Amino acid sequence: MAIAKAERLMNLALCLLGARRPLSKRELRDSIEAYVEAARPGRGEAARPGRGEAARPEKAAGSDDSFNRMFERDKDDLRELGLVIETVENIDGEIGYLARRDSNRLPPITLDAEEAAALGLAAKVWQQARLAGAASGALQKLRAAGLPEEVDPYEGHAALEPRIPVHEAAFEPLMLACRDRRPVLFDYRKASAAHPEPRHVEPWALECWRGHWYLAGFDRGRGAERVFRLSRITGKVRSRGTGFTAPVPDVVTVRETVAGWAGETADRSALIRLRSGAGYPLRAKAAKVRELGDGWDELEIPYGHGLDAWLVEFGPDVVVVEPAELRADVVDRLRAVAKG
Amino acid sequence: MAGKPARAVNAIDQTRRMLSLVTYLRERPGARIADVARAFGITEDELVADLDLLPMCGTSFRGGDLLDIDTDGERIWWHNPAALGEEAAEPLRLAADEATALLVAARAVATLPGLREGDRQALLRATAKVETAAGEAAGASSRLSVTFESEGGVFADVDRAISERRRLWIRYYSPARDEVTEREIDPIRLVSVGHTYVEAWCRRSEARRTFRLDRVAEIRVLDEPSAPPEVELRDLSEALVQPAAEDPEVVVEVGPGGRWVAEYYPHDSAEELPDGGLRITLRTPEPASLRRLALRLGRDGRIVSPPELADSARRAAREALAAYDTPPGPVPDAAGVRG
Repeated sequence: MAIAKAERLMNLALCLLGARRPLSKRELRDSIEAYVEAARPGRGEAARPGRGEAARPEKAAGSDDSFNRMFERDKDDLRELGLVIETVENIDGEIGYLARRDSNRLPPITLDAEEAAALGLAAKVWQQARLAGAASGALQKLRAAGLPEEVDPYEGHAALEPRIPVHEAAFEPLMLACRDRRPVLFDYRKASAAHPEPRHVEPWALECWRGHWYLAGFDRGRGAERVFRLSRITGKVRSRGTGFTAPVPDVVTVRETVAGWAGETADRSALIRLRSGAGYPLRAKAAKVRELGDGWDELEIPYGHGLDAWLVEFGPDVVVVEPAELRADVVDRLRAVAKG
Repeated sequence: MAGKPARAVNAIDQTRRMLSLVTYLRERPGARIADVARAFGITEDELVADLDLLPMCGTSFRGGDLLDIDTDGERIWWHNPAALGEEAAEPLRLAADEATALLVAARAVATLPGLREGDRQALLRATAKVETAAGEAAGASSRLSVTFESEGGVFADVDRAISERRRLWIRYYSPARDEVTEREIDPIRLVSVGHTYVEAWCRRSEARRTFRLDRVAEIRVLDEPSAPPEVELRDLSEALVQPAAEDPEVVVEVGPGGRWVAEYYPHDSAEELPDGGLRITLRTPEPASLRRLALRLGRDGRIVSPPELADSARRAAREALAAYDTPPGPVPDAAGVRG
């Protein structure tokens, strides 16, 4: 049976961390069982007697390749885990690998029991596999560094369960692209568009609001900043091009843009009549409510984008008084429904 | 070991964990399996799997020994802690993803409106310390952010009721019926998934119910003790509102401008239509509640079935129009539409 990947990674990490000088690839290959095994020419065949010498160089080259690929992947994986592995050249021009103690040690950190409990809660919040694993990993590193353990399960927090939902397939590739500042290409279907269009974007930041993820970035095709809703990205997110061409703003505002779409940024107010007892959310937003006494109330409510669609939901329980523009929009929508 | 259940083990997560585990165990000879599993937030089985693997690991380059770690099923013994040099046993710095995952989550929870001030302060202190310890690795964490929505005052009352084990009286808005009803609930926990909800035993319906905090019109903490029966809590990996298999089916056809319906309503299927629209099939315990959706969609979509629902939306629209003194006019071939 093949040696477990975790065992191989663990041995490579311990080897590098334990050595006081750079280790060459050859040294690592000869001292880690899984590499010895991978580099052994055709495991099955090696046991067979009577193989000619002539066949050997080719076999060795093939297994060298597979060892090299494995070794490169393993180094990348360990770097993902936070290990700083330096590549240095020795006097003979041979490449060696070094995990310096200074650059790999967690600086001293002292957290009290309350802070530990707070982080314990935070570490459970991610529902996305990669970040859930990373958050637990962070907590485990802190635990190894002496993070106090919750003696009794934190009573105040036990009844609070925050969860960050991630249902969008585009999340992970975009998160990595934001982290590494890599431009991406994806197909995007605008809210009311019939068909998706390709977008070439320099991704700045991701934000989750009301359970949905949004991306802000520089849209190369449009030459301007844009906000994208991840659920409208169709197909795969691909890396395309290197480096950003536009400056990244110090503060990226996603929520404000999205709130604007959602009609949360009202600049005017509207006057409506609302049947008594109906439309609680309208009342909750109202600046003024006046009882008319005939089974109706009059409300002054903020008027932003999308208010017409919202008011129509209440059917015959809402009548728009003013402005005329809103009144016309609502009537227009009602007519469309009435016609069925 | 043969006969181990074939389970997808993430080698990256396991390696990360084992690296911390050796540092942790080195300081704690004879640590209990149960305690270590709890400290690491893993199951005892996962820990035992790690303990099976660790004896195959070591700093073999130096001709050093493999880690001689074993367990009697209760405690963990490490017979040659010196096999791991000081260098390899130190706690490791945080990776960028680790710092991001922890910091983004901690900042999100810290901004939850209604959170106890003491908890918020602890989160902020911890966040600052982790930022410092993470150094450069914390840099990318500003590229992700999460906002939990909550009603601070309602949250604080629910939180207090849960910790003091007291019943709550609420006036609650139901968008499906556009009405506010009074009820008494025994709160169990607060769940934030974008919006914040209280999961509770509802004394009015004698059932477990989930209430969204921004729909609580009024709230009072009662003197009566809360006594929710033992209930199975919602699985938070799934949507909080799950239609039941026996709920009636509704079919909605939307044009390109109504595609958002598929993003907001959990549905069984969404079929592409040639005009760029969708034919969406969903289930709901109260189809009448979708009258609102039909009204909202306007010319961007229509209810295909059940026909009574489509009729009720049309009737509501006509009734509403009457108030504007602009009668909808003769509805051309209304009978024809019905087929």
